[in-house]
Amino acid sequence: MDTQNSAVYQVVSALLEDLPRERAQLLPALWRVAESEGYLSQDAMEAVSKILGVPSAEVFGVASFYSLFEGEEGRVPVYICTDVMCALQGAQNLKDAAEKSAVNRPIAVKESACLGQCDHAPAAWIGGKVLRRASPEEVKTAVTEVRHD
Amino acid sequence: MTEIRRLLPETGIMSGPTSVERLTERGFERAMARAMLMTPSDIIAEVSQSGIKGRGGAAFPTGLKWSMVSQAPGAQKYVVMNADESELGTFKDRVLLEQDPLGPLSGLVIAAHAVGARKAFCYIRGEYREVEQVLAAAIETLRRVGLVGPDTVEVEIRRGAGAYIAGEETALFNSIEGMRPEPRVKPPFPTNKGLWGSPTLIQNVETLANVAVLFAHDVEWFKAYGTKDTPGTKLVALSGHIHRPGVYEVPFGTPVADILNAPELGGSVAGTGRLGAVLLGGAAGTFLNAAEVQNTLLDYPSLSKVGASIGSGAMMVFDDTVDLTWVLTKMARFFAEESCGQCVPCRIGTRRILEIAESGNLWSRTQDLRELGQAMRDASICGLGQTAPLALLSALDRPELRHHD
Ligand SMILES: Cc1cc2nc3c(=O)[nH]c(=O)nc-3n(C[C@H](O)[C@H](O)[C@H](O)COP(=O)(O)O)c2cc1C
Ligand code: SF4
Ligand code: FES
Repeated sequence: MDTQNSAVYQVVSALLEDLPRERAQLLPALWRVAESEGYLSQDAMEAVSKILGVPSAEVFGVASFYSLFEGEEGRVPVYICTDVMCALQGAQNLKDAAEKSAVNRPIAVKESACLGQCDHAPAAWIGGKVLRRASPEEVKTAVTEVRHD
Repeated sequence: MTEIRRLLPETGIMSGPTSVERLTERGFERAMARAMLMTPSDIIAEVSQSGIKGRGGAAFPTGLKWSMVSQAPGAQKYVVMNADESELGTFKDRVLLEQDPLGPLSGLVIAAHAVGARKAFCYIRGEYREVEQVLAAAIETLRRVGLVGPDTVEVEIRRGAGAYIAGEETALFNSIEGMRPEPRVKPPFPTNKGLWGSPTLIQNVETLANVAVLFAHDVEWFKAYGTKDTPGTKLVALSGHIHRPGVYEVPFGTPVADILNAPELGGSVAGTGRLGAVLLGGAAGTFLNAAEVQNTLLDYPSLSKVGASIGSGAMMVFDDTVDLTWVLTKMARFFAEESCGQCVPCRIGTRRILEIAESGNLWSRTQDLRELGQAMRDASICGLGQTAPLALLSALDRPELRHHD
């Protein structure tokens, strides 16, 4: 594949333009791509590998370690905390609500470990925003409003 | 029994959390000015005299750590604020950073000065996106008044991406360096070989906030609260079956029962109103039964009598209807998923515990679990594997906590 000229390479290259070309920028680089594109595609990771000079196997190895990078093409992840303290306060209802509203939408409902919001349980993390003491209604609305372009 | 506010800003404070006025109002400007006029060894001596211990879980004496980093050979040194906060039931660093981010940051600037570091990192968990924005604004404020920058210390935020293990100090270094966040074998310790092999001081958010309030005042002021063994105050995070969940600041030595019951603190047990158990210190913490809750103080010597520690300061409250077998199974799954898999005792051990939990045999296979737990404690590389069996074993030691229906 002629990576250097591919459209993905151009996009990633523009995103990383001002980042120093060094290994220590790998995590910030992956974040930029994931936030802008919604997920990390194979081609995008190849491009990151070329641009930062990190072997592609290691880019995949790092990216796959982190749960927040497990988004897939056309499926925006939303997170419902189902850990102990939220489970005590009705997390299952939130998950059911999220799954219902995700039907026929490009959304993947994921269970999350403790989000550090147990004083406001049950909590969810949708579109980069925390929902505190969330009701199934609020989760429904938030899932419907998730951006996916 | 009242709540203290030293690490947390006074209620009704007028200035914005990231404003220049806040620096003055909270005494952080004074704290940094005072520290900058002191020699590094005088700063470290003051931190040692204050008796501050790490608030991230291990309670290592902070002054000792600073002197180790300061004495370690190496021209390049780093300081790191650990804001990864991913322990079950733990949210005190989030509340601290939301309400008063300039405190921990002032502590970070003082720490850099004391150990001779020109570069600092704040590592914050990816799910704390809104908190990260507050932190960034606070760093900008310090930059504007010249306390952060090329002539003092550069501060950079690093965002985690959803990995509990990345909060372990050496895994966190690997994460910053662009490697997989797997813990390193210790020794060498971070004080000698941390980020890029250089001496590195890593502290919890709350520890750094303690440093800031110490230098805003003095050792005598600092020691006015707390015990002889552990001076100062502690943030506790109350959640679960409690009327007033939230973060409260209390002196070390406060009776655990008061934290749960005082009207201005926990405000008493919710749910059925009858206490079943408290899980103290996070997923790697200890279960206390109702009698132990009545008879212990929030301090290391008192808690060690019942085999417990303060850990992160999480206090998860369960009423008498909660089936702890369910809680233990959930926690077993968490550890099995979050183990980085590098070493055998932890990779296999966390799986075995989960299998036993899922097969419903937790309470009948106590001997096997104890032996497994011992092996994990003895042979795991890092704190995750070493402490993953602790909460489970503490429950097995208290068979009265078993739920029968
Ligand atoms: C699995 C694991 C996760 C940890 N997560 C955190 C964390 O999120 N925040 C933290 O401050 N310390 C965490 N620690 C402890 C750190 O390794 C380190 O001891 C601490 O940041 C030192 O700061 P302190 O001395 O101020 O407590 C964790 C340890 C382990 C073993
Ligand atoms: S103890 Fe567990 S988490 Fe720690 S290094 Fe070993 S496998 Fe990884
Ligand atoms: S358990 Fe859900 S936020 Fe802590």
